[in-house]
Amino acid sequence: MNAIILSAVLGVVMMFSSVFVKNKSALKHIAAAGLLVLLIANIADTYGCSLFKIDLHNMLRFDKFGLFFNTIGIGATLIYVVLSGRDIEKSGNYVAEYFALIFFVLCGLTLLTSFGNLLMLFIGIEILSIPLYILTGSDKRNLKSNEAAIKYFLMGSFSTGIMLMGIALIYGGTGSFQLEVVRSVFASYKGVSFLEIAGLLFLLVAMAFKVSAAPFHFWTPDVYDGAPSVFTSFMATVVKAAAFVAFIRLFDARVTETSAAVDWKMLFSILIISTLLIGNITAVFQQSVKRMLAYSSIAQAGFMLFALFSLNDMAKEGLLLYAAAYSLATIGIFAILIKMKDVSFEGYNGLAKTQPLLAATNTIFLLSLAGIPLTAGFFAKYYMLASVIKTGSYTWLVIFAVLFAAVSAYYYFRVIQAMYFKNGEAQTDTITPGFKAGMVIVAAIIVIVGILPQTILNWFYF
Amino acid sequence: MGITTILFWFLSALALLSAIMVLASKNPIHSILWLIAVFFAISGHYILLNAQFLAIVNLIVYAGAIMVLFLFVIMLMNLNSHTEPQKNIWMKLAGVISGGILFTILISVIRSSADMVNRTAQLKEGNIGLINTLGKVLFSDYVIPFEISSVLFLSAMVGAVVIGKKN
Repeated sequence: MNAIILSAVLGVVMMFSSVFVKNKSALKHIAAAGLLVLLIANIADTYGCSLFKIDLHNMLRFDKFGLFFNTIGIGATLIYVVLSGRDIEKSGNYVAEYFALIFFVLCGLTLLTSFGNLLMLFIGIEILSIPLYILTGSDKRNLKSNEAAIKYFLMGSFSTGIMLMGIALIYGGTGSFQLEVVRSVFASYKGVSFLEIAGLLFLLVAMAFKVSAAPFHFWTPDVYDGAPSVFTSFMATVVKAAAFVAFIRLFDARVTETSAAVDWKMLFSILIISTLLIGNITAVFQQSVKRMLAYSSIAQAGFMLFALFSLNDMAKEGLLLYAAAYSLATIGIFAILIKMKDVSFEGYNGLAKTQPLLAATNTIFLLSLAGIPLTAGFFAKYYMLASVIKTGSYTWLVIFAVLFAAVSAYYYFRVIQAMYFKNGEAQTDTITPGFKAGMVIVAAIIVIVGILPQTILNWFYF
Repeated sequence: MGITTILFWFLSALALLSAIMVLASKNPIHSILWLIAVFFAISGHYILLNAQFLAIVNLIVYAGAIMVLFLFVIMLMNLNSHTEPQKNIWMKLAGVISGGILFTILISVIRSSADMVNRTAQLKEGNIGLINTLGKVLFSDYVIPFEISSVLFLSAMVGAVVIGKKN
């Protein structure tokens, strides 16, 4: 509850700070301080120190998994603001409003990690999405940004419509919005009307859209490519991970699936296969690093879907680890991408000579995304695949995923190859020592988690 | 066959017919007028279900405010049957197939749920839709979503200002 209320209040504070603070660069310090407060409040909440005592009427249910995820999401946003705050300042005239919208997105995130009622899911998804439509279109003079915003808005509203239809059908079948009811639908076979099954399928489609799983991924490349890079970074990481947590909360507890009316495992394996296939194969053919990252985010969503497939403890730990590893690495890669003058693969030629430190940290981030050992990405992928093996069936799915992880190495290594082995003069904006220090810290976190994943996971159960 | 049953079938037929006409009319203005008819028919259904508040809100918000905005936009853009874009036949075919699949699923869902048979209207039954009950529920059980939706509106307002203001 701390995080939900504080993030909304801090959003309002940011909004008003545009009136009272005339110095633009002070805004990012205010935002970073706000995020720090939010982070501390959320950690306090995790260990039982809640500032607000409210009768929740079962609308929200706080558990450790959700609160830990809040910590990861808020922490990633803090790192994002520290690394890219200067670029948010440059992206338009309404800096304070952009920060306010980021806080509102965090409010949506904290709702999605703790909803106990389908209405709260709906409101959470909307609070998460609407600020993003605006951030996508914040570069008003750029036609691509406008196109991306309108596309995202139309497709997003359409998927919200499908979600509402699903919720309405579930309500029609059961007469309740509570999450337990959804769980009981999963659990039983007889006595479940097809209204509820159809409702759940609609919810599946809508959530698959939000996490950009194929075949509902069509908006992702255009939106990620068209949006200002600094906001793509936020969208592709924190927001996507939040949608995943909502997804797993919704489809949790498919206890007796052998008796269930729908073969959910089969459905999810179709989603996973098509997502991995489309994401990885299309990423290979991209010429722009930014667009490649958009497709790679689809491919990474394929891996995160494994958590929904297996739904055991290991999958949940894995999802937290995956969200952290993926978010950190992608935020780092985007922070460098924003500084590049040319975001095609050629633009990275010879970066190792002009900016050796950036090239080295970028290499660590890319290796982590590819899932190379000694980085956090390796253990994230390992947990996901091990969770499937633990369920005892569908081993072929694991082999398939490993094959596509190998394919993904190709396009991640293309960037590394351009940086180290191609001749050229990579042009970058001025790099401050503070930025370099930030990159080194993020890279260090990724390596430390990669060597000792248990430290972070034990800390979850602390 | 009581008066409510007759009303139910009449309103259903009206809603379906108007909905088909929304898609079938070539002139966008006619489409919108038919859409208003759909909203009126749906509001009639709400009254049959003893949900007066919903019926009134549906009329005020949809048939009133939103449809007027639609009309404004279409008249400002000067759309008519000549400016309707031509789609190629494969696009149309794909649309028909995917729409048809969804339609089949929904039909089968409604057919298979036995508890919906013989439940057309409940005039004067149940007080869930009355404004008195609605207000009480909204400020007790549903107070959290009610309050949190203010964050949603706030972010939408901030967005409207960011997008709409001149640089």
